[in-house]
Amino acid sequence: MERTNFWSPYAAGIGLGLTLLATFYIMGKGLGASNAFSIFSAVAVNKVNPGYAANLKYFGRYFIGSPLKDWIVFEILGVFAGALTGAVLSRNFSLKFDKASGMSRSTRLFTAFSGGVIIGFASRLARGCTSGVALSGGAELAIAGWVFVVSMFLSGFLFAAIFRRLWS
Amino acid sequence: MNSPLFEYGLFGEGASLIVALIIGFFFGLFLERGGLGNPHKLTGVFYLKDFTVPKVMFTAMLVASGGLYLLGDLKVLNVSKIWIVPTFFWPQISGGFLFGLGYLVAGYCPGTAVAGLAGGRIDAFVTMLGMIAGSLVFAVIYPAIENFYLSSEMGTATLPMILGVSHWVVLFFLAVMAGLMFYFMERLERKQKSF
Repeated sequence: MERTNFWSPYAAGIGLGLTLLATFYIMGKGLGASNAFSIFSAVAVNKVNPGYAANLKYFGRYFIGSPLKDWIVFEILGVFAGALTGAVLSRNFSLKFDKASGMSRSTRLFTAFSGGVIIGFASRLARGCTSGVALSGGAELAIAGWVFVVSMFLSGFLFAAIFRRLWS
Repeated sequence: MNSPLFEYGLFGEGASLIVALIIGFFFGLFLERGGLGNPHKLTGVFYLKDFTVPKVMFTAMLVASGGLYLLGDLKVLNVSKIWIVPTFFWPQISGGFLFGLGYLVAGYCPGTAVAGLAGGRIDAFVTMLGMIAGSLVFAVIYPAIENFYLSSEMGTATLPMILGVSHWVVLFFLAVMAGLMFYFMERLERKQKSF
């Protein structure tokens, strides 16, 4: 059974909000996440098939300097370190293949991967994800952020009504 | 006014990567401690069972937004030097819609997948591999959808700009909305616990 020693969501929200505010104050931009995976994708593809990613119009932008020496790549490494610290110190770390009860392992493998593919594609189309567009853009009161938030939640509710047994 | 610090040249590119690590550390810590590395909590909102995501998200937005515009009005922070997320209306409506589906199916979004993996969840790593593949799919078909990707551009438009009101009016309205939402979410969660 999952340990439920999480903080109050409001306390975590205040912490997250202050982190985002500090990012605005120090860096002049917000937080992000999905672009790091786009960079990882471009770098990995270029390793397997040299020159292929660099010649793709969309990925080409990453190869002007050294693609991995990017702010968001380091930020994501920090996210991993911070979340690991939180999970270990609160004894919330456990190695597992998480899924809805009753779902088979192979089905979960499929949903975890295909959901990821959709997220990867969608966050490129929207120019960011829940971190860069929804949270950071929303805090800036940018139209982009609120358009994304409304559309994402509507979609989530709609598809949850269709796929009722995905998680519950 | 000498902030945003990086924009005013207080430190260079190299040091900014150290800053990125530190900021990311706190980002990840609060995500994990809020329960946002857990796919059951992350998708709970869509089944009206667990409202952790909107509670954390809207609290964070209000704190950061109030702080940003307050520091701006106090002339501590030069808001005109903040990089505002650009709006491309239809690509972001459709991107957000697709994203909602992917988030529900995977049980994670990009940042929370990293938090999930850090908590020991192997399925979150599978989702990360999927996101890497999905980014490639986008890059490969990009020439075919470039026109759509660049369409309905609104630049750095914000709600106060479009509505023609002060940012404090917008923030007040959002805070009231969030307060009402939190009230009903708490009531709904209590009701479900009593079953």
